[in-house]
Amino acid sequence: MAAPTHTAATAAPRRTPHGPLRGPRPRRHGSETLAAWLFLLPSLAGFLVFTAGPVIAAGVISLLDWNLFSPPRFIGLDNFARLGPDDTFWSALGNTAYFTFVSVPLTLLVSLGLALLLNQGLRRMAVFRSLLLLPYATITVAVAFVWVWLYIPHDGLVNAVLGVFGIDGPAWLISDDWAMPALIVMSVWKSFGFGMVIFLAGLQAIPQQLYEAAKVDGASPWRTFREVTLPLLSPSVFFTVVTSIIGSFQVFDQALVMTDGGPGTSTTTLVMYIYRTGFENYEQGYAAAQSMVLFAFIVVITAAQFLLQRRLVHYDL
Amino acid sequence: MSSSLSRRALLKGAALGGLATTGALSGCSSGPPPGTATWSMWSSSPEEQRVWTDFGHYVERRMHIRSASTLTPSDGYPTKLDLQLVSGTASMVTALNGWLIPTYASRGAHRPLDDLIAADPDFDPDDFYPAIRSISSFAGHTYAIGFDVAPTVLYYNKTLLERNGVDPPSPTEPMSWDTFRRLAIELSKRKGQYGFTCSPTIDDLVSWIYCAGGNVVDGDRDTSPLDAPEAMQAIHYVVDLFTKDRATPPIDNLVTQNASGAALANFLQGNVAFMQNGPWQVLNVRKASFEWDIVPFPAGPAGSKPRVSGSSFAIPSGVKGDDLDLAWRLLKTLTSTGALDIYARAGRNNPARLSAASAFEPPPENLGIVQRILKGEVAGGHPFDVTTNWNRVRLLLAQDLPRAFLGQKSAGDTIDGVMPRLNALMRQHRDAVRQAT
Repeated sequence: MAAPTHTAATAAPRRTPHGPLRGPRPRRHGSETLAAWLFLLPSLAGFLVFTAGPVIAAGVISLLDWNLFSPPRFIGLDNFARLGPDDTFWSALGNTAYFTFVSVPLTLLVSLGLALLLNQGLRRMAVFRSLLLLPYATITVAVAFVWVWLYIPHDGLVNAVLGVFGIDGPAWLISDDWAMPALIVMSVWKSFGFGMVIFLAGLQAIPQQLYEAAKVDGASPWRTFREVTLPLLSPSVFFTVVTSIIGSFQVFDQALVMTDGGPGTSTTTLVMYIYRTGFENYEQGYAAAQSMVLFAFIVVITAAQFLLQRRLVHYDL
Repeated sequence: MSSSLSRRALLKGAALGGLATTGALSGCSSGPPPGTATWSMWSSSPEEQRVWTDFGHYVERRMHIRSASTLTPSDGYPTKLDLQLVSGTASMVTALNGWLIPTYASRGAHRPLDDLIAADPDFDPDDFYPAIRSISSFAGHTYAIGFDVAPTVLYYNKTLLERNGVDPPSPTEPMSWDTFRRLAIELSKRKGQYGFTCSPTIDDLVSWIYCAGGNVVDGDRDTSPLDAPEAMQAIHYVVDLFTKDRATPPIDNLVTQNASGAALANFLQGNVAFMQNGPWQVLNVRKASFEWDIVPFPAGPAGSKPRVSGSSFAIPSGVKGDDLDLAWRLLKTLTSTGALDIYARAGRNNPARLSAASAFEPPPENLGIVQRILKGEVAGGHPFDVTTNWNRVRLLLAQDLPRAFLGQKSAGDTIDGVMPRLNALMRQHRDAVRQAT
């Protein structure tokens, strides 16, 4: 076995001129560095080709007038100027924001509630966990088709159940007022499994001694939840909120399958509008401009969340 | 005997393996060999696929070369074709739905065929119905050669009419709108039984608009005549069948109702008396468990002038040199009487050629009216007038029209709300036509 090449454990920490204390930087063999790069390369290549590349390409295309077939023409920021008077774009953005800011908190609440229940050490917990994870593991389009059937106004299961309680259910997917809530309910049902698994893992990582200490101190269950569980679960909550918001801003498939964006444009989401602009209306430049705006929204909201993280997320008590 | 594998050897092996795999994959993706007759078509069922396989065999027999067809489900066909055209990987002949021809032609995605037709004494354009020649042209040039063409007709459930004591409609004299409406209302009086079904979209509404003497597109103006009295009369008539007369099955959701097969699904349930649809659905309606037939479309103030639709084959602009010669021979073969006989005999639709028309045979008993309508002997038809941005027109109307059909908004308010955006699209269309000419 090769001898250790450095003595990091015994070396004294050193202070950099403008930074915090740091330990000595470990030296690595060239072959180890190469191996590290080789292992990173597939991910890095995937990121460059499938993420960074398209973002840069979209930025360039957003400055062009391009209908796919004719040669593209540089038009500067004209595509961005078109966004202002485009009512459908703003309506799509509003619908997406409505979807996000209602569905994400609801999904978090349902996920957290179920994770807390499953964390009580129920018998056959693995079975419940698997069953509850099934909606998340199922393809969205398939789930959406089932929910279209459930929402049928006259014979659908949802209205049949409501009828048992004397409620005359609305025509869910063809109603201006109810189409978006119907989409949100379906989406919450589809996605709570993801948050539930993250929360469950977070709950199980909380040291039991803290609960025992709270019990000894006479803390009520609510106070224990507020003072122990919630703070130590905040990294999981943060992760789930960030990924859920990003995912919700990109909502597309369930709206396409369940409502086709209607009635009117009441459930047209931003990604659906971008897709239609680019591939049905052949306006690649304008679609790219819209996607850049969406990208900017997501970056700003995510950055704001990371700023808030410093105040709200706790890694220990 | 055992030997240890060093990390360096492992990495080297992995790298060589990767290179070999990449090489093998790139070898696999080289496409059909040169000289192969490549063509694209939509295909959404095993029956359709069988017809296109027979087309492939026919091409190989007639041209003595290999045929390679790319078949894509109809919903995804335009998007796939767009990407193939842009990336230069499109087939040398591509099928196009007639309403997309101006879109592709105005953008230079497909080439005009006039020079090839003029240089080929074997090709007889007069053997094609005038309607499909009109549908396959843009700005005075022929961009495609048709393989099917047909007017919208009215399917009726014989069994249901008989059960309700109603005589079958005449196969030669179209019903008046008043008669049709009275019948549709009468046949909707029983619970769970409906007089009529169509999809709440412009594609179906346009036949009624033509019959009223209106249109969505006006070739001479850059504003749409959709709000003209003639078109409004038709829109009110059909919307009333849905909302006031309640003569249609209720709309449960917009996605399936907007889809082309929605009316068919309603009709096949056996509780709908009349369905508006094209003879391309004859093959599917033959599966019905009741007696049925077709009659001409009801005559409005301007007569019976339903939409006439068709599909064609075209050659992408990127096809040049020897490939162009091969593409033209392939296109001629795919639209020859022999190929269209295969198509029509399989019951797909009425063929675009007069010389192949006899292959589209009954049942139903009245199937012959399709050709008589196209020849102007019975009732009539109106080629589907579309714009170079018809996708956008369709989408705009698909978003707004359902509100009228659902009774959420009056037909008048719906059209008033649509007109400014529709007129903007018409101006864009006029500009595209001007640039193309």
